[in-house]
Amino acid sequence: MFSEQAAPTAQGLLAPPSVEPPTFPRVPVLGYSDCSQPFQLGERSFSRQYAHIYAVRLAGMRPGLERRARSRWGSDVALRKLSELQAGEKCCVVGTLFKAMQLQPSILQEISEEHNLVPQPPLPKYIQPSDELILEDELQRIKLEGAIDVQRLVTGTILAVYGAEQDDGRFLVEDHCFADLPPPLPWNGPSSDRFVLLASGLGLGSVSGEALLSTQLLVDVVTGQLGAEGEQSCAAQITRVILAGNLLSQNTQSRDTINKAKYLTKKTQAASVEAVKMLDEILLQLCTSVPVDVMPGEFDPTNYTLPQQPLHRCMLPLASAYATLRLVTNPYQANLDGVRFLGTSGQNISDIFKYSSMDDYLEILEWTLLAGHISPTAPDTLGCYPFYKSDPFILTECPHVYFCGNAPHFQSKLLQGKEGQRVLLVTVPDFSATQTACLVNLRDLTCQPITFSGFGADSED
Amino acid sequence: VTYKWLSYTLGVHVNQAKQMLYDYVERKRKENSGAQLHVTYLVAGNLLQNGHVCHKVAVVREDKLEAMKSKLSTIASVHVYSIQKALLKDSSPLYNTDYDIVKTNLEHCSKFSAIRCAAAVPRTPPEPRAPAATQSPQRQRDPDAAGAVNGHGPPAAKPAPQQHKGIMGMFAAKAAAKPQDTHKEAKAEAKEAPGVSAASSKPPIKNNIMNNFFGKAAMNKLKVNSVPEQPKEEKEVVKPSVAVAEPDSSPNTVAEKPGKKTEPARIQQKDKKSKTKRADRSDDEEERDPENVKKKRKRIKQLQSDSSDEEDVPPSPTPEEERAPSPPPAPALKTELEPASTEGSAGGRKRKRKRVLKSKMFIDEEEGCMGKTG
Repeated sequence: MFSEQAAPTAQGLLAPPSVEPPTFPRVPVLGYSDCSQPFQLGERSFSRQYAHIYAVRLAGMRPGLERRARSRWGSDVALRKLSELQAGEKCCVVGTLFKAMQLQPSILQEISEEHNLVPQPPLPKYIQPSDELILEDELQRIKLEGAIDVQRLVTGTILAVYGAEQDDGRFLVEDHCFADLPPPLPWNGPSSDRFVLLASGLGLGSVSGEALLSTQLLVDVVTGQLGAEGEQSCAAQITRVILAGNLLSQNTQSRDTINKAKYLTKKTQAASVEAVKMLDEILLQLCTSVPVDVMPGEFDPTNYTLPQQPLHRCMLPLASAYATLRLVTNPYQANLDGVRFLGTSGQNISDIFKYSSMDDYLEILEWTLLAGHISPTAPDTLGCYPFYKSDPFILTECPHVYFCGNAPHFQSKLLQGKEGQRVLLVTVPDFSATQTACLVNLRDLTCQPITFSGFGADSED
Repeated sequence: VTYKWLSYTLGVHVNQAKQMLYDYVERKRKENSGAQLHVTYLVAGNLLQNGHVCHKVAVVREDKLEAMKSKLSTIASVHVYSIQKALLKDSSPLYNTDYDIVKTNLEHCSKFSAIRCAAAVPRTPPEPRAPAATQSPQRQRDPDAAGAVNGHGPPAAKPAPQQHKGIMGMFAAKAAAKPQDTHKEAKAEAKEAPGVSAASSKPPIKNNIMNNFFGKAAMNKLKVNSVPEQPKEEKEVVKPSVAVAEPDSSPNTVAEKPGKKTEPARIQQKDKKSKTKRADRSDDEEERDPENVKKKRKRIKQLQSDSSDEEDVPPSPTPEEERAPSPPPAPALKTELEPASTEGSAGGRKRKRKRVLKSKMFIDEEEGCMGKTG
């Protein structure tokens, strides 16, 4: 992307100083509107049970699923509730999935005295062949078996199954379907090249020095200090930078202070304080040149449950002075120049990764889009706020760019839907590990990774 | 010596710095003076990696330059990154140099960059809100207003330039240096010449530049105000403020001459900044707020109600009064406020003193850290 445009003047700076070098104005933001109001929590009360969120989820997705079921299995297919099932009758049932997993970490087992169990260490995947799927609707539940991939599905998904009830009380599934892609949004994309830089996992506060240079190089490219003139003019077309979570590294999550005695920890500062100061400086450099949206992630100082609220601006005193800094929620949805972005910092995808046999982050990302829900495993295995009026994670409109942060590598795919939806799926890699960020071109919905590197002691590229 | 370090130290555009480094290297090499120079380059281009075309940006040593260039399918840019006498083992000294120089220049970090962003303007710090202050304005409206305006006049003059420096620092990506300087001079002159009208214009300026944040809040507060009772006066006050406001809000070097042409610009700007259809005066009043605001730059909204309520009252006798006390040339803000408080009416004095105290506390705290309001 950059390279083709920049190539002609590539060697321009290998020359004696010229007269006043050009400065390029940053392309102005044409249209930006933040659509993440559903993810912003007002007053939070945790006194409610989580059953309500499942109820509203089912109620919210039921109409769409019934439509899909009709279109797939014929408009005369019998749609039944579990309580109305008759043995042997072929019908379609819409309900929530529950996967009974043996290895699922359960707090009740941990604190149970009679078992005397040591808490289970975190495993990369908790799936086992003996897992079972159970379908629940508002009143009853029934075990599922048949043509359904037990390993692949996760708890909390709303789906429609077509089959018949057996004599022994199980439901034999012949076919199933998800909500599929939500209805498309009109496309108002820009006509000229505009880029959005997606980066995640900056991982400040860790001890790695190499990553710091790469971060600085990233900032320099975006603010236009690095690169020859061609590259700088291309960088001027970056309209926005979205930092998708994990700005601080896992090392800053030191919990020792809780366990140690107070007198030992008096003079020590949490590691995150230094890291946040560094983050503030980096953000300041970015903000003076480009609008930045900062999403919190798993290791960032904000609440743990989804939806994570924006970082507080008091933590970033220098950068908050600029109107170009926007602290946003995780998940985040916004209209940038007519293109709808929706994305998370990756906790939902990594959670599904743990409880499903799907290994590829891009595949999981696509699957959540097809299932019509950003994070089905919340609140079962992922922390979530007890919503009761409506579930904000249900996808009602199809975004144009759907991303997730902190993935192990960069992947992207353009998905075409039946109703004309075009979605660019991007898994944004963890910057501290891969030194890669993504550039999304808003004009034609393409994405290009951009890597940075310095030279280390081993001097290999 | 990295290009960024050179750019900040010499105050030149980054591209020029890069070219300077290259030039130096070439000349030194031609001279063959025997001093070994090690150069690192920045290479950027397209690279086929893992099946996608990936844009790679890398800092490489000179000996690896050709190898890197051959790896890239298209080269987007090559330039000198740094020069040093010793061979670098890894890139951390480069990072450290850059980090240090940027840290010392945090306010102007985009000044020498090749990209200017028009949207990156520091916003007004939010008005501090003191619950206590809200009562006092209501109690002593008129005298307060008079005293307040009075008090604001001279302090506005002094804090204006100082704060302007600070604000100037925060300005990014503008050729802000020049307009700011002229602006400051303009202000200094204006101070002497038309007296307080110019002085009070300074806070307005600041306010105009800084932003809606506070603007909107203050506006809402002032909603209860009656429309200009002395539109004439306001216009006067407003005009110079407009004039001075101009340079700050947009990089035009507008003279401090109150001109009709600035007014439409200002109104435009006002409309831009504050979406309410405010009368000039409320803008003016709100401008007094920022004085206090500026003093306590990053305060929580404490004094807002305080100041804005004060300014509710039309500044009737103020212009004349304000002219009388010429801003004492005391550099310190504190001393500034003291004489300001002594001038003016009694009721206002009481008010001002309270306000002064508050401000003082803020100033003290401001020097230290972002503490709580007094």
